[in-house]
Amino acid sequence: MAGVPVEALQRVPLFADLNKHEVKQIATLFKERRFSEGETVVRQGSGGAAFFVIESGEATVFVGGEEYTTLRPGDYFGEIALIDEGTRMATIVALSDLLCYGLTYWDFRPLVEKNGVIGWKLLQSMAKIYRAAREG
Amino acid sequence: MKEVVRLEKARETALFGSKAVGLGQAMRDGLPVPPGVALSGSVVEAVAAGKDRVIKHVERAAQPLGGPLAVRSSAVDEDGAEASFAGQHLTLLNVPSSEELPSALSEIWWSANSDSAISYRQRVGLFTRPSVGVVVQSLLDPETAGVMFTQNPVTGADERVIEASWGLGEAVVAGQVIPDTYRVDRSGQVLERTPGLKKIAIRTASGGGTVEEQISPELAERLCLDDDQLGELNGLAGRCEQVYGSARDIEWAFADGTLYLLQCRAVTRAGP
Repeated sequence: MAGVPVEALQRVPLFADLNKHEVKQIATLFKERRFSEGETVVRQGSGGAAFFVIESGEATVFVGGEEYTTLRPGDYFGEIALIDEGTRMATIVALSDLLCYGLTYWDFRPLVEKNGVIGWKLLQSMAKIYRAAREG
Repeated sequence: MKEVVRLEKARETALFGSKAVGLGQAMRDGLPVPPGVALSGSVVEAVAAGKDRVIKHVERAAQPLGGPLAVRSSAVDEDGAEASFAGQHLTLLNVPSSEELPSALSEIWWSANSDSAISYRQRVGLFTRPSVGVVVQSLLDPETAGVMFTQNPVTGADERVIEASWGLGEAVVAGQVIPDTYRVDRSGQVLERTPGLKKIAIRTASGGGTVEEQISPELAERLCLDDDQLGELNGLAGRCEQVYGSARDIEWAFADGTLYLLQCRAVTRAGP
């Protein structure tokens, strides 16, 4: 076995439109990462190193110290700091023991550059964030 | 090229990192280093990626070491003169056996790819893909341990400065105790013995990892090294200088009455 289970990635909406062969290819790039309940997964303002999808467990998102939302299996986070090479926009704390699959910046960028379907989905996600911010 | 080797065979910094190669050189020069195995950066990444074949190979290589194990990062692209990754990359003490080694290696790989490690890389202008080799060694259960500068790092004086405490040396390295301080000249004459306040000792825990043990007030203020041990440390300092040159920063431990060298590196800043 190498990387993460293909079935796990197929459940992630970001990768749902890829065929099995494409998912197989990207599965080899991901690495398993576990966080304990209460552990800070990413911290707002810190530089970003990896993009994560949640396989099991839940995590709370805080923006400016305020609780913003809860992430659940299938959700993903961490892509914005990797795209603009800026800092993390939110703090994420594991609400329970958390099993994630992570992709570092050095693997994430070539993946998005090569795969228009993933790139488009990320753009849609960014556009939603932008629209929500504009509409207050 | 072999990427999993006994520590004494670790020669290529580009594969195994400076810590592994430094310890390998020390073993080749007959210095008292605990036995170990060096893993290249790409092997550590393959284990983190869950590659079964590599995992089995690493487990087999570490099996003769028994357990428990000390698993230390050895940054492959570390450049001691420009930037130090000390504190950025994880060291895991008391990994119970080679079976638990893969998850320990995964944790270490992620420590080199953590947000804080990457932020640090951005700050020092090293925003490149990290590669982290690993040194796996038999874990000592030391009575006393600490650090030693072969030359006074503050005044530049030609004397050994030794800091020591009870148990594992991490208590001294991480600043969790006020260690005993000793100064010894090259002839072995002890110039200063200042007891510290060593309220805790870091010991190995039965299920893996480490625990902080409370030290009795009487023992906390008692000197933990005698003159014979200071003489042995002075001898080790001399041998390290012969091999590597002057102004070394050494981590050491006394376990079952035997002195071991855990790390020897150049002092990054010496003298007034």
